[in-house]
Amino acid sequence: MRPLTETETQTLFSKLAQYTGRSLNNLILPSGGDDNDRNVFRLHGSRVYFMRLSLANLATSIPRDNLLSLGTCIGKFTKTGKFRVAITALDVIAPHARYKVWILPKGEMSFMYGGNVVKAHVGRWSEDCPEHQGVIMYDMNDTPLGFGVSTRASNQLKQLSPTDIVVARQADIGEFLRSEDTLFTT
Amino acid sequence: MAPSKPSSKGKGGSAKGKSAPLSSATKVSKNKKNVKRPPPKEVKGKARTAPEQLKKKKKRVYTEEELDLPKLNTITPVGVVKPKGKKKGKTFVDDQEGMMTILAMVNAEQEGQIESKMMRARQLEEIREAKRKEAEARQAQKKSKLEDAKASIRQKRKRRSDGHDSAEPEPTSTGSKSKGKRKSVSFA
Repeated sequence: MRPLTETETQTLFSKLAQYTGRSLNNLILPSGGDDNDRNVFRLHGSRVYFMRLSLANLATSIPRDNLLSLGTCIGKFTKTGKFRVAITALDVIAPHARYKVWILPKGEMSFMYGGNVVKAHVGRWSEDCPEHQGVIMYDMNDTPLGFGVSTRASNQLKQLSPTDIVVARQADIGEFLRSEDTLFTT
Repeated sequence: MAPSKPSSKGKGGSAKGKSAPLSSATKVSKNKKNVKRPPPKEVKGKARTAPEQLKKKKKRVYTEEELDLPKLNTITPVGVVKPKGKKKGKTFVDDQEGMMTILAMVNAEQEGQIESKMMRARQLEEIREAKRKEAEARQAQKKSKLEDAKASIRQKRKRRSDGHDSAEPEPTSTGSKSKGKRKSVSFA
């Protein structure tokens, strides 16, 4: 388990910044005055974890092979150096979301079984959302369900037919059950 | 068998006798030679070392600066030079300030991208709107033209209906005329 290098940090932040606004700064800022209280990113294998610094320091006492995971898994680096955000990062990025899509109850199940979001299932949509932008999906009670990429800008939505895909799914909370076996394997 | 033995003995004795003085002579000569040999050896040694020494003298290492080579022709090209004394391996970003600067850069870049996306979307939307209006205008023009044509036809019909009595005999006469004309045109 080691800190990220500069390029890795940049890749990670640029990925997270697709879904979040400027409030992403709050992730790194210490909640209290103590420096041990601030949150840090740590790389273990190819996965990136987000945790308190005091917790990360404790990890040094565990052999690398014996350590499976620590803190919240944000995602993993691919072998080509790109970063892939995992569904486990939803709790970290959802409070700082920039663009949101609220899904109607009739569309929740199809989304949570891995389907894309069609226009008929969208209850509300953040204004001024450009196309190909990371969005976070919520149900109508503001519970985060997953995230994806918008296929159209929000001002083009009116011209679409009800069966047109408006958000391409990237991750949803159904994965916790669907890929339970592979979610935490290295 | 008997004569052969002494002969062999004699031969052997003579051989031994001959060999003894020879050996002594060789020993002496060897000693003498040994005494003589060292000088050539030394000469040879000097001869071997001399060119080496010369070579060593000739081997002077020039630094790259002394050679006055164009910079692109040097062993380590211009772009690849790594500063000496710098830490090898990865440089971690663990301090908060470093992370904040990277985050600020990334955020600025991201906002620029979003801004440009929105601008482009707006421009495309304007173009689309203009095209739509143009198409609508064309459609309306087409429709009005059609309406005009319809109206003109209706007016013609009305005129015909107004002059109904006079109109009836005419078509028959024109029809007969036209038939005659057609025949002449089609087969001539």
